[in-house]
Amino acid sequence: MQKFRKNTVTIIFLLIVMLGITGCWNRRELDTLAFVSGLGIDKAREPGKLQLTAQIIKPGEIKAPEAGGGGMGGSKPYWNISQIGNTVFSTVRAMTLKSNRKLFFPHNEVIIFSQDIAREGVRKYIDFLIRDPEFRRLAWIVVAKDKASEVLETKTELAKLPARNIAELIKARSATSEVSAVNMQEFLTRLMSKTTAPIASLIEVSAKEKTAQLTGTAVFKDDKLVGFLNKTETRGLLWVINEIKSGIITVSCPDGKGKASLEIIQASSKIKPEIKDNDIHITVEVKAEGHLGSQMCLEDLTQIPAWNSLEKRQSEAIRSEVLAALKKARQLNADIFGFGEAVHKKYSRLWKDIEDQWDEFFPNIEVTVKVESKLRRSGLTVKPPRPE
Amino acid sequence: MFGFISQKLRFLHVLLNRERNKQDNHSPELTQATISRNLDQNLKLFKDILGTSNDIIIREFSFGRDRKINAALIFVDGLIEKTTVNQSIIKPLMYDSHLFSLDETNVSSNIDYICRAMLSVGEVQKTGSVEKIIDGCLYGDSVLLVNGAREALVISTKGWESRGITEPKTEAVVRGPREGFTETLRSNTSLLRRKIRNPDFTLEVIKVGKRTRTDVCIAYLKGVVNPRLVEEVKRRLKRIDTDAILESGYIEQFIEDAPFSPFSTIANSEKPDVVAAKILEGRVAILVDGTPMVLTVPMVFIESFQTAEDYYSRPYYATLIRLLRFLAFFITILAPAVYVALTTFHQELIPTNLLITMAAAKEGTPFPAAAEALGMGVIYEILREAGIRLPRPVGSAISIVGALVIGEAAVSAGLIGAPMVIVVAITSISSFVVPSQSDLTAILRVVMTIFAGFMGAFGIIILLLWVLIHLSALRSFGTPYLSPLAPLSFSDLKDVFVRSPWWVMLTRPRTIGWHDPQRQEFKLNPEPPPEKPEE
Repeated sequence: MQKFRKNTVTIIFLLIVMLGITGCWNRRELDTLAFVSGLGIDKAREPGKLQLTAQIIKPGEIKAPEAGGGGMGGSKPYWNISQIGNTVFSTVRAMTLKSNRKLFFPHNEVIIFSQDIAREGVRKYIDFLIRDPEFRRLAWIVVAKDKASEVLETKTELAKLPARNIAELIKARSATSEVSAVNMQEFLTRLMSKTTAPIASLIEVSAKEKTAQLTGTAVFKDDKLVGFLNKTETRGLLWVINEIKSGIITVSCPDGKGKASLEIIQASSKIKPEIKDNDIHITVEVKAEGHLGSQMCLEDLTQIPAWNSLEKRQSEAIRSEVLAALKKARQLNADIFGFGEAVHKKYSRLWKDIEDQWDEFFPNIEVTVKVESKLRRSGLTVKPPRPE
Repeated sequence: MFGFISQKLRFLHVLLNRERNKQDNHSPELTQATISRNLDQNLKLFKDILGTSNDIIIREFSFGRDRKINAALIFVDGLIEKTTVNQSIIKPLMYDSHLFSLDETNVSSNIDYICRAMLSVGEVQKTGSVEKIIDGCLYGDSVLLVNGAREALVISTKGWESRGITEPKTEAVVRGPREGFTETLRSNTSLLRRKIRNPDFTLEVIKVGKRTRTDVCIAYLKGVVNPRLVEEVKRRLKRIDTDAILESGYIEQFIEDAPFSPFSTIANSEKPDVVAAKILEGRVAILVDGTPMVLTVPMVFIESFQTAEDYYSRPYYATLIRLLRFLAFFITILAPAVYVALTTFHQELIPTNLLITMAAAKEGTPFPAAAEALGMGVIYEILREAGIRLPRPVGSAISIVGALVIGEAAVSAGLIGAPMVIVVAITSISSFVVPSQSDLTAILRVVMTIFAGFMGAFGIIILLLWVLIHLSALRSFGTPYLSPLAPLSFSDLKDVFVRSPWWVMLTRPRTIGWHDPQRQEFKLNPEPPPEKPEE
């Protein structure tokens, strides 16, 4: 009995201790939380201050009213709350002065920097986002061509929330591979690399329709925005960094009487650095496989000469895209491809000498692009629909 | 606290003992008393003991060639079969006795003669013990007292109104035998004997209950069962020194290993095929007169998830259903708790779309999630209890009230969120999948929900660990409760998460039937017939 009592006391003691050492603990009912789905960071009009816009989901209104209910007054299913402040953290806290519910960030899907904030440098803002436990590293990093708060106000047709819409646009980008998709984790990896330049998706609000659309890639040098890649250049970049999922390559038919579209099915790439005679040489090897997706000419492209010519054209198109991206990167002097890291990995001893002068090296590195592409199938038909 | 309670209990025990010893002061006499030669004296004695209840019939008559031998038949009306008494006892004695030459002076040889030659009844016992006579009389036997004999004949004439063998309501099956145990011990043992036609199948009867003198029968298969288990069962049964045993639940609570545990360590069943299967695995069954619920020991936790039908249907489906049962068990103890923990502590773990839906349902409801879960749980238990107790015609009203008022109206009135109703509904339906643990799951579910309401997933984990530790410490008649999982026995995993085909189940459970481990021969799997040699 004595032993039993002693054990009980020990167990109760341990349970109490366990309660204390588990860290943050709080009981919050669902209806005391404001779920943030998107966060935009802008410059405030006052110099030195920032304006934070959080898109809060209104759960009661996001559910479609049930049949017979009519409409719930047609109010927006979200609420964009804005606040001006000195730091991100203090501004987030200051938002609780306007919102009766506590802002809750784990369901945040996008973080949007406005162009002027990005040009100024994002490091000081992103610090809070990685320090606070509520933010997910899976949120997409987006740069708005103009103001971030405008992006969160855009009209959406199928999605109910602008922020969710943007996140879904970014996820859907793999159909074209013309826009880069970078989440916070990847952005940080690049931000913390000495040579690799961070990139982010670029978003624009069309003036007429007030809808958001992805238009390319924002390129950072260190933590500051330096320029943009258009869609072609972006795909060139994605070819090199092995991020191509799918996409359409349009080439002209071998007979020159129309165009053919090739669908990318599989792609992979390798960056092979080499140092010869104190010269850095990089070989980019791209392997791609595609289908013939559509043709607008009447030629039977499945004949071997035409097919081979088509494959060649495909390779050429890929090559030109990569070269375009390379040209832009050299122009911006931003190592978006991670060539520096590749050299670092292979020549770790020599790297120390190169490291600090990488900015001088990069624009002048000799890059060879080797593309090996294949066409595999021609869809359900062989010849185009034409009378024989 | 337990210490305090057990101290009080012990004190009470001493008090009661003293009281009872006073009351039972005549019983030692009775156990040793024997009847005398004088019939009148004997009749007076039995009249004294049996009292003046009008269902006790004392039939006095004379027989012999000259009707000179006086005798009396004592029986309890309603417990005996009248035709047997009339045709096989009274008739031969009164009409046919004059055909026999009975020595009217040497009566004790007469009684042997009567026993051997005149009574056409199967079971007759000769005894002089007053206690045995009374016992037999009260259990439907007829007692024949003959003047001048020192012994009486206890003639088995049991036969009373009883419920027929019907399909048990608690363990319905689609495939398998439909018969169930009844309230009569003898018919229950016969059901078992019919399943196990083997001389090794042994039945032993112990009388338990000072006042009710209830027959408690232990059944086992000699050679398969561990003899020490039988001994231990007998020891625990003999320990019981109580007034009355009205149901096997009484026995269960007197002999179980962990009386304070919410887990029951003794299994019960209403189906002879289930009990027979358990006996064949090396378990001991305890049958109690007056109840169809038969206990089997030892019990392991996994037994709750095994049903008779698993073994009758083909293995694939049986395995699937068994896994489903494990899932349902976890749903029924965890679903409300996990729901509460997720919505009040770990909102980040819910996928965004689901969270929005849940938050929309929560919008405007007045109670915290934990209170919602507990309240709905209580209401559900009330509905369930009412549904069981109410007379059948009214029963349907309960389901209407339950489904419409509690579910639909409460949601549309904004008192509780719809997801919570769904969670409680799933929980309650799941609880019926593992019926043998349903009382445990009801308790555990409530405690889980309270813990989750206070501490979230952390609380759930604490409680789950506590339950796991407790389970691994439990034993049922020497068998670890979690066996064959802990301690792990690989060969027994054939019948835990999967139900292997019968030809794979070569051995009995190692912790239970190890006295004769092999159940069948190897290589019994069906094979194509051997090819005929070419001629």
